[in-house]
Amino acid sequence: MSDAEVSDQPEPPGPAGSTDLPPPADCMVLADNVHKSFGRLEVLRGIDLAVPAGSVACVLGPSGGGKSTFLRCINHLEKIDAGRVWVDGELVGYRQSGDRLHEMRERDIAEQRSRIGMVFQRFNLFPHLTARQNVMEAPCQVKGKRRTEARTRADELLARVGLADKGETYPAQLSGGQQQRVAIARALAMDPKLMLFDEPTSALDPELVGEVLDVMKDLARSGMTMVVVTHEIGFAREVADTVVFIDGGVVVEAGPPDQVIANPRHERTKSFLSKVL
Amino acid sequence: MSSTTSIRNRPEAIRAVPVRHPGRWIAVAVIVLLTAMFVNMLVTNSAFHWDFIAQNILSTPVARGALTSMELTICAMVIGIVLGVVLAIMRLSPNRVLSSAAWLYIWAFRGIPRLVLCVLFGNLGILYGRLEFGLPFDHQIGQLFGVTDFHARIFGLNWSSLIYGFVAGLLALALSEGAYMAEIVRAGMQAVDPGQTEAAQALGMRRPTVLRRIVLPQAMRVIVPPTGNETIAMLKDTSLVAYVPVTNELFFQLQHIGARTYLIFPMLVAACIWYLAMTSVLMVGQYFLEKRFSRGFGATGRARMRLRTRGAGAPGGVVEE
Repeated sequence: MSDAEVSDQPEPPGPAGSTDLPPPADCMVLADNVHKSFGRLEVLRGIDLAVPAGSVACVLGPSGGGKSTFLRCINHLEKIDAGRVWVDGELVGYRQSGDRLHEMRERDIAEQRSRIGMVFQRFNLFPHLTARQNVMEAPCQVKGKRRTEARTRADELLARVGLADKGETYPAQLSGGQQQRVAIARALAMDPKLMLFDEPTSALDPELVGEVLDVMKDLARSGMTMVVVTHEIGFAREVADTVVFIDGGVVVEAGPPDQVIANPRHERTKSFLSKVL
Repeated sequence: MSSTTSIRNRPEAIRAVPVRHPGRWIAVAVIVLLTAMFVNMLVTNSAFHWDFIAQNILSTPVARGALTSMELTICAMVIGIVLGVVLAIMRLSPNRVLSSAAWLYIWAFRGIPRLVLCVLFGNLGILYGRLEFGLPFDHQIGQLFGVTDFHARIFGLNWSSLIYGFVAGLLALALSEGAYMAEIVRAGMQAVDPGQTEAAQALGMRRPTVLRRIVLPQAMRVIVPPTGNETIAMLKDTSLVAYVPVTNELFFQLQHIGARTYLIFPMLVAACIWYLAMTSVLMVGQYFLEKRFSRGFGATGRARMRLRTRGAGAPGGVVEE
């Protein structure tokens, strides 16, 4: 964590509009001028973001500002209309040959996604499988791991999120906080190099938020690169290396937490923080 | 206030006079009367020929007919379900060609009555003696280029010797069932939360894996009950294959005995008994299937029950203290 904090780019990368930017090698996520529209509604209007490997970026901002959409663009759950997204130096969703972009085949997109973990607001655990089977499913089906091996790893991961005794339990029998922790274990089972969190605590009862945040803090301490869309300002202040404030489809302000949260420069950031703090 | 309530003794349990339901007793009386009248009609009317029914209901041709009907039901449903799953996946495919083709199939086979399909398939042999695969319109294309005898057929088989009787009836029922099952499976797949597909994709699963491992198993919970209905409907519709004609089928056999002996009505009653018995067996099977595919969902029911017993246990504990 300490070496990530020394990272030299708390600022978003510079000139918007450049297209053939070669991805810097030390950036786990690099977004350059990302645009996305749903029909006539332009949700993202030029997002730039750089997340160095091993660091934690927290994305804050009002609802409908484009935070979640941007997060979903990072693993190509949403197709972007313009700009570029790189993960670990690799263009997401497209393959560049010469100056033409080719859409990736589903197989290659799936392969890219398998290296990016994602945790959803509504958990999205597979309700017909037990907690352990939820964690084992992707390693067995995608990586072709042997069941015994996947089972051992699943039990390790469940223990890591504090649910060692819940392996046989179906999601419907777990509390929201427990379900979200299983979801984190499920994402970790693919050994991702990047974890995306889409408002992981927004659907939880207040007293269950802490247990999920604790798991995430532990994960950040272990050196995982994380992009977290959240409303938990306290978490952002404590864990984030970079805080990004997104509103109206653009990055309004980005920087270390003691700058963006404690001394926001922009009016919009100030008014948002004054409402949530 | 709350601290005093916990110290106070639990008051005596309420023993109130329950509300009377005179309407229920009237209903019981009416239904008992009607049942008695119905039984009286069955037993005292000699036209039923119960002894004749008993003699014939398990006779070899009838039992064989029932077996044929059962076979037809099972085979038609298996083919229909497989076809339905394929059609439903095509119908929901982003590929427009596939989804329109599935739509067209469903439109046609759901629109044509099964009886008409049975007769049609029974007579296909008249229309086409041979079934051949190859380049379509080969004769016409040949003539276009001045070749009078142009053949581009890869292989062919004798249709009329293949598609008759049982096979024709089975095809008619199975193809029609495929259309209905497609709609049932589609409804089931659309009932699964899209977040499930997203979560699976985010883990790196590809579309076929997502369907097989995540979407279809969850859709089964929605698919099984109407499929049970379809199976029961199919068992009854097997009586239609008499028009193909398939003669060793249950209803035809019973009617045949009735026509031969002029005891038509008793054999109709025998048919009712047979169909009721067989659908009862199917209903038992459906119960177990439904139980199997509600895993993880029934869990909430179990949890609720546990809560209820725990809730009931708690005040009892206070009394003992």
